[in-house]
Amino acid sequence: MTELLQAVVNGLQMGALYALVAVGLAIIWGLMEMVNFAHGEFMMLGMFGAWWLSSTLGLDPLIAMVPIALVMYGLGVVVYTQLMRRVQRGDVFAQIFATVGLLLFLQNTVVAGFTSDYRFVSDTVLARLSGVNIDLFGIRLGLPLLIAGLIGLALFILLYLLIDRTEIGLSLQATSEDREAAMLVGIHPRRMFAMAWGLGAALVAVAGVILANFFSVYPQVGLQFTVLAYAIVALGGFGSILGTLIAALLVGVVQSVTVVYLAPAFKDAFVFGSYLLIGLARPQGLFGRF
Amino acid sequence: MTTPAAAPARRRGSALGWAAALTGLTVAIVYPIPIQMSGYTYFQTVGFLVFLYAMLGIGWNFIGGLAGQFDFGPNIFLATGAYTAALLAVHFNWSPWLGFVGAILVSVVICALITFPVTKLRGHYFAIATVAMWMIAQPIGATWELINGSRGLFIPMKPATGLGEALITLQFPGRSKGLVYYYIALGLFIATVVLFRTVERSKLGYYFRAIRDDQEGAEAIGIDSRVYKTAARCLTAAVFATGGVVYCFWAQAVFPDQVLEMNWAILPMICTVLGGLGRLWGPLLGAIILIPIAQVMSATLGAGPLAGRGLDVIVYGIIIMGVAAGRPNGLLSLPWARWFGRTPAPGSGRAAAGAVEDAPARR
Amino acid sequence: MRIVIDLLKTRYVPIFLAVGLLALTATLAGRTSAQAPIKEVLIGEVLPLTGNFATLGQQYLWSGQTVEDIVNNDYPDLSVPLGPGKGFPAFGGAPLKLVIRDDQSRGDLARTLVEQLITVNKVHWINGEGTSGNTSIIQPVAESYGIPLSCSPCASPTLTEKGFKWFWRTGPNDRTMVASVFDFLKDWPKNGGPGDLKTVAIFTCDNLFCQDNFKIAQDLAPKAGFKLVSELTTKTGATTLASEVQRLQAANPDILFFVQYPAETAVFQADAKRAGFMPKVIATSNGAYSDQTWLEAQKKTNGGAGWLGRDPTAIDLASKKPSWKKVNEIYRKYSRGQDMGELAMREITGMLWVADTINRAKSVEPAALAKAAAETNTSPDQMIIDYKGIRFDKSNQNVLASGVVTQIGWNGEKHTIWPWALAKEAGYKAIYPSPSWADRDSQPKPSR
Repeated sequence: MTELLQAVVNGLQMGALYALVAVGLAIIWGLMEMVNFAHGEFMMLGMFGAWWLSSTLGLDPLIAMVPIALVMYGLGVVVYTQLMRRVQRGDVFAQIFATVGLLLFLQNTVVAGFTSDYRFVSDTVLARLSGVNIDLFGIRLGLPLLIAGLIGLALFILLYLLIDRTEIGLSLQATSEDREAAMLVGIHPRRMFAMAWGLGAALVAVAGVILANFFSVYPQVGLQFTVLAYAIVALGGFGSILGTLIAALLVGVVQSVTVVYLAPAFKDAFVFGSYLLIGLARPQGLFGRF
Repeated sequence: MTTPAAAPARRRGSALGWAAALTGLTVAIVYPIPIQMSGYTYFQTVGFLVFLYAMLGIGWNFIGGLAGQFDFGPNIFLATGAYTAALLAVHFNWSPWLGFVGAILVSVVICALITFPVTKLRGHYFAIATVAMWMIAQPIGATWELINGSRGLFIPMKPATGLGEALITLQFPGRSKGLVYYYIALGLFIATVVLFRTVERSKLGYYFRAIRDDQEGAEAIGIDSRVYKTAARCLTAAVFATGGVVYCFWAQAVFPDQVLEMNWAILPMICTVLGGLGRLWGPLLGAIILIPIAQVMSATLGAGPLAGRGLDVIVYGIIIMGVAAGRPNGLLSLPWARWFGRTPAPGSGRAAAGAVEDAPARR
Repeated sequence: MRIVIDLLKTRYVPIFLAVGLLALTATLAGRTSAQAPIKEVLIGEVLPLTGNFATLGQQYLWSGQTVEDIVNNDYPDLSVPLGPGKGFPAFGGAPLKLVIRDDQSRGDLARTLVEQLITVNKVHWINGEGTSGNTSIIQPVAESYGIPLSCSPCASPTLTEKGFKWFWRTGPNDRTMVASVFDFLKDWPKNGGPGDLKTVAIFTCDNLFCQDNFKIAQDLAPKAGFKLVSELTTKTGATTLASEVQRLQAANPDILFFVQYPAETAVFQADAKRAGFMPKVIATSNGAYSDQTWLEAQKKTNGGAGWLGRDPTAIDLASKKPSWKKVNEIYRKYSRGQDMGELAMREITGMLWVADTINRAKSVEPAALAKAAAETNTSPDQMIIDYKGIRFDKSNQNVLASGVVTQIGWNGEKHTIWPWALAKEAGYKAIYPSPSWADRDSQPKPSR
């Protein structure tokens, strides 16, 4: 029983990190319905930013988060205005095409600048806390993961309020639902898309900054997280920010619990298997609006 | 679409199409001969890859272009095909030709079984379902003992004693291999083109397009969208399985991380979109451009003093982004006729698809 | 004529253009590489310089560039093949030229590029691809063209078991290396080690390299007298290993046989630390243990102290050799300041052997090269690595490539602990049991 509870708790802690990675995608893909294969590369840039600022300036990722998020917001906007806005004229498949190009470009630009070495960030507040646990009735809660999870949760709530409670958020939703109608009421769809890309890039970069405390940093790191992020956004349902959060926690728990009893090689397969099962019962994801 | 005035122009266009296809075919058939004589057989292999990817692109066009469904994981059928043929060859000593039959049968049956349930899902939800199948296939490939897990299957090298035996086992020594595999790929490519043309012009193709353009409308006139989506994916699966068999005998080895790699899912798709989605010749054009570019980049920017800096792939990425931004509907949407013809005929303008260029995005 | 103009008006124009372009490239590329007398010796290198295996590929690239430098420049005191003097003496000082190709870690690209190197660039030898999986894909090409191929760091036993005539490997295979770990563990009690090690858990990733190690360990552990209590295979690219750690903790093995890449190793360390899991011995085989960047990072956290693993060389002894120091100095010019790791040492040794073989053959004809390769009998003092020499068996595997077992000490460096003779020479007392996480945190860190 303790074993199972521990696995569930481990899963929830990982789920909070996954949520952080998925939330940027929930905006670009889930809300605005634009495919972004380079999502993991935005995250990787955030990780590299954290590593670079920490190893050269000694800046802790918890602080470096802010400038990195701002820079990445700018990058997201540039990607939209210079590339995706033009690509949007065509079929939605063209977006796959364009963002695969972006993926190759970003990943290998980092290879060119920093080589493909593995890098490890160790001189940080969270990394120094590694191994510190909170004991709760015999269940271990890792403190650094807990802090990271809380940061993620806070960002989530802010984003939820932004999307659901503010005018900007409502404009974003209106744009994603009906571009023409949005224009009629005075919303500039392009500005909204640019903002969505900026937000998406900034959020996933923040995720990268936090993950850099726990994972090694290298140019090809993006894919393993983003594959899960795609499953999470679809599982949560399109257009639902809270759905993404719940799906992320669910994915963390599924991974963690199945592996305690079944073959670990099938860890991601169990996640995607549960996506298929849930999808057959609820074709719109758990909380999908469309 | 076809107004009475445009009909004669269309008929002339069709005659021209035949002439163009014949010319293209002649070029394709003659292409490897000077290469064989000069000994630079590498260029035949590039040609082989071009037709292989073009064929896979057309295969993906069934589900992606005609039926308009996101399929991100067609590579699982490439893997199924490759493994079926490899198992038959390794354990039962079957010829690859019989392997083709087995591979297509197995892949189509598996495809039908796993695809029909998820056709309930639409749009991006369907896309992630195909990714899910791929993610489930990966650990199966890596750990299943029957197919030797990650350690892979090897097609034993058995030098043939004569041409007849070589044609059955598809094992060719050194400098003739490129030539033969080039023609095999060309032949299979043509077969795929014919298949696509036939389907496109048949009732089946009409159903596919109806589902793509308006699923509710199609269902209203009695088209069972789930059955036809499954059918479209099974056609894709058959083509990918064929490609898998060819790849496996060409590489003489099958590894799960090789055949379930992302490139086999993404590259055919990219070729198709680069050339022109849903267009018969789109994948070929895309493959003709993209495959040699990767090779040229590797041999120029990937070599020399800046080797190892990833410059080859950076430039490759820039090219892809450039095309996507400039021509999101693919290169075939360029107004070629307007550029080359002195007086554009009313019909040829449409044939050149300049009109499609600003068509709204569809899902 | 009219039909030609009409054709030009159609949408088939791009296809014609593209075919024309391709034909043009073919003729141009053909022209530029005309056969010439041996002014330079061409070695083709197909490496995964981008994509998933780029971290490995870059080390092999730097190794190749190091060897190119050693051969082409005069290093009078360097006692490795072709160290003194410029270029190949057999060809009147003709230089070595690497023809490098990036295969993006993709098998189909690797295979095609090898064909390019053979038929267009007309290289005399192929070295690559660095990973066992893609090397299996390019082996048949070299074989059918009859061009020598070598891959020194590829360790999969299958590579030399398929009866290929044109493939050589100077490095040890996984079987040799994993066997050395279990030989050490078996004989450790008789040589001052603990007598209470009874159980083993195997914990590996799921690709070719990991599964080779998995199977070999599965076979060798019971033969060495240990009981297998858990066998876990994880997906390569895991984002968490917490549940796996939970299972290992429940199985409570004395020895953890661990094969994971650096990224997953870091994940494992974090999860094991959180769970407070530390077996008495962590034995590894390659993966993170061979990765210089991982080893350097451990110096900041003591994370690697007490880990033991197989290595192809006694690095603490080898690094005292003047030739090792000199080669490392050259290597650092190319690696942006990184020291040679064991993979780089295997690759450099292999490539120097290739250069030596070409020089001894006094010809670049494949038959002459094969003959020279078969006659190889390199003595250990010509090497920067401690193989007992280079001599090939019928399958072209170097029978003198040996395994060594090393352990990471509290100073973050590797120390030789097996074979016993070398261990004596190294004079290092092995850490046992593997320190707990609290000890790792409290002990002084080698670099901070």
